[in-house]
Amino acid sequence: MFRYESLEDCPLDEDEDAFQGLGEEDEEIDQFNEDTFGSGAVDDDWQEAHERLAELEEKLPAAVNEQTGNGERDEMDLLGDHEENLAERLSKMVIENELEDPAIMRAVQTRPVLQPQPGSLNSSIWDGSEVLRRIRGPLLAQEMPTVSVLEYALPQKPPQGPEDDRDLSERALPRRSTSPIIGSPPVRAVPIGTPPKQMAVPSFNQQILCPKPVHVRPPMPPRYPAPYGERMSPNQLCNVPNSSLLGHPFPPSVPPVLSPLQRAQLLGGAQLQPGRMSPSQFARVPGFVGSPLAAMNPKLLQGRVGQMLPPAPGFRAFFSAPPPATPPPPQQHPPGPGPLVQNLRSQAPMFRADTTHLHPQHRRLLHQRQQQNRNQHRNLNGAGDRGSHRSSHQDHLRKDPYANLMLQREKDWVAKIQMMQLQSTDPYLDDFYYQETKEKQVRDKRRKTLVIIEKTYSLLLDVEDYERRYLLSLEEERPALMDERKHKICSMYDNLRGKLPGQERPSDDLFVQIMCIRKGKRMVARILPFLSTEQAADILMTTARNLPFLIKKDAQDEVLPCLLSPFSLLLYHLPSVTVTSLLQQLMNLPQSAAAPAPSNPHLTAVLQNKFGLSLLLVVLSRGEDLQSSDPATESTENNQWMQVMFMATRELLRIPQAALAKPISIPTNLVSLFSRYVDRQKLNLLETKLQLVQGIR
Amino acid sequence: MNYMPGTASLIEDIDKKHLVLLRDGRTLIGFLRSIDQFANLVLHQTVERIHVGKKYGDIPRGIFVVRGENVVLLGEIDLEKESDTPLQQVSIEEILEEQRVEQQTKLENEKLKVQALKDRGLSVPRADTLDEY
Repeated sequence: MFRYESLEDCPLDEDEDAFQGLGEEDEEIDQFNEDTFGSGAVDDDWQEAHERLAELEEKLPAAVNEQTGNGERDEMDLLGDHEENLAERLSKMVIENELEDPAIMRAVQTRPVLQPQPGSLNSSIWDGSEVLRRIRGPLLAQEMPTVSVLEYALPQKPPQGPEDDRDLSERALPRRSTSPIIGSPPVRAVPIGTPPKQMAVPSFNQQILCPKPVHVRPPMPPRYPAPYGERMSPNQLCNVPNSSLLGHPFPPSVPPVLSPLQRAQLLGGAQLQPGRMSPSQFARVPGFVGSPLAAMNPKLLQGRVGQMLPPAPGFRAFFSAPPPATPPPPQQHPPGPGPLVQNLRSQAPMFRADTTHLHPQHRRLLHQRQQQNRNQHRNLNGAGDRGSHRSSHQDHLRKDPYANLMLQREKDWVAKIQMMQLQSTDPYLDDFYYQETKEKQVRDKRRKTLVIIEKTYSLLLDVEDYERRYLLSLEEERPALMDERKHKICSMYDNLRGKLPGQERPSDDLFVQIMCIRKGKRMVARILPFLSTEQAADILMTTARNLPFLIKKDAQDEVLPCLLSPFSLLLYHLPSVTVTSLLQQLMNLPQSAAAPAPSNPHLTAVLQNKFGLSLLLVVLSRGEDLQSSDPATESTENNQWMQVMFMATRELLRIPQAALAKPISIPTNLVSLFSRYVDRQKLNLLETKLQLVQGIR
Repeated sequence: MNYMPGTASLIEDIDKKHLVLLRDGRTLIGFLRSIDQFANLVLHQTVERIHVGKKYGDIPRGIFVVRGENVVLLGEIDLEKESDTPLQQVSIEEILEEQRVEQQTKLENEKLKVQALKDRGLSVPRADTLDEY
């Protein structure tokens, strides 16, 4: 399906714009030529580096190897010096038969030679093994060197004392050699697919104009088109916008999705090898990251504006486009795939409901890892800490100077690629086992929640029963009973809002899970009267915070209204501060008096739901009560309340008149509440909008 | 596995000692230092282990870069249990000799088999050339 014999076979050539693109490529081809053969070619120092490595290896066997019966070795500089010798040595490395395998020879060297002394013809091979012996690394059976080998690979760095697990993330990458063989891939300072060294500040619009590679690769067998280019650099992957990899678990909307054909076209057209899109190619299509990546991900996260695409510094050095200091204008002309992207863009509004998405745990992990990467560039013993349970193995890793050659960032990069490959919307492309484990996890989670609900429910029944028991019990038993009851109430609260081990703060997750189940909601309504004010307030805040999601999940059951009366009761015990912040949460008001977001879907969802609207009205009413009863008009709490009310009224006025729910009850003091903050005209508007005046209904 | 639940990934295996079986029949043992999305492996302090019967011999190989498609399977080696084996380690020459003998026997048997088939007028089955193993 994706066999391309040459550049000409790309479907892009069917577009007229491609010719222009080709023309541009010619210029860039010359640049490549320059960089490969001309002054831009990277000078290789690998010989030097190798020499140092060899020195290290030399030192260690000398220290450890008891079999130094061979006496002094030749003080030959190996690969360190002369290129003339290189060809010679290379010829020596041809293995005629097994017994001439230098690796075997090396190992055999230490024992008395069984075979007759080889003739002059083979003497070179024997010499070769002598020569190459030095490259030998310490045998597995031997002790591990206590100094990091990387120290020696760095030029002009004096050998340092043994230091375990030094931070290796800042080491320079070994310089890549240029190969004079024509037809080999163009040499880059940073090869394709290498995770970039620095975490450059990303800029979404800072697309790198990268030409297609010069050479024509041999036709590859049709490869499975990966949902993402497999060669995206880690930074690009980390910072992909609108990626479900990074998302909040409850994104609001379903994003557009490409059909497999479009996806394949996009990948196939923009590259020579399907599935092997280089990060440069990926990057050069503006908006490409936006649309098909969004397409791959079933759930877009709106407003994830901060994430952008970073350019790899190495690439920039290579291509003629100078790196702009500020983000360039968004409309950079994309050669080649441009028209294709336009097509995709136009089809962006297409939605598909049956999408798979990453497990929330994956997303969370990735998000965490992202944070880690941003905060700290290194993570010592990353693999060791994570995987091993045996202390001996950990000790071994600690003493292992070769550990962490693969940086945490690089590991994350591979992990991201793998996880991206798991996402797909096509059931034929889905990873069956991954989907199965996900479903199993969802089932398990639900079962766990149900079990917690059952346990808490039995606690609740016990607590409700205490009055009766109290009356029946003896005087001396009563304190014990009271204690028991208190203890059980605490347990109930912990079950609702308790934190899992390993978290610093309790997360809302457990509570939200419970609240998604009908029985859970009813149970919470019954528990509320037994909780302390703070505990109950916490529950109320959590509910308000997650209200849109809960409303969505309640669509079928419609049990939320049962919570209204316990909440109302609770509200009358809450102080002004709490009520203010509660209102903020409920209406999703911005923290400062800054300009609000263009739309407030949180508030819309709340207003369109019976429970949401009722709760909002009750909160407003309570706030009004507090304000009117408070003699001190200049208190900070009052000020805060007024501030929030201003924002609230602004939001309410702004919000379009959608189909509002019918509230359970309308408090009477709302008109007087609003009259403090808006003029006559707007007051009328609000009245009609919220249907506060009875007669209008 | 807790790195990426529900998936198989080599990330947790990094810096651990592994046994890798290649498609050409070789067995490599080394510390897994680096991987990529194609499961290309970088093995450090690699040793090629040749097994013949109850004996085995190790050939030190240094650093190996293995292309992912050539890997049949790989597994982590428990360092504590590593020496706990009924197999006997012998020198390289010995194991190569044993291997040679084994190959020879195999060839001879194969020859006999082919001859026997020919005698009965049956055709020789052609070997599948995809895997040399």
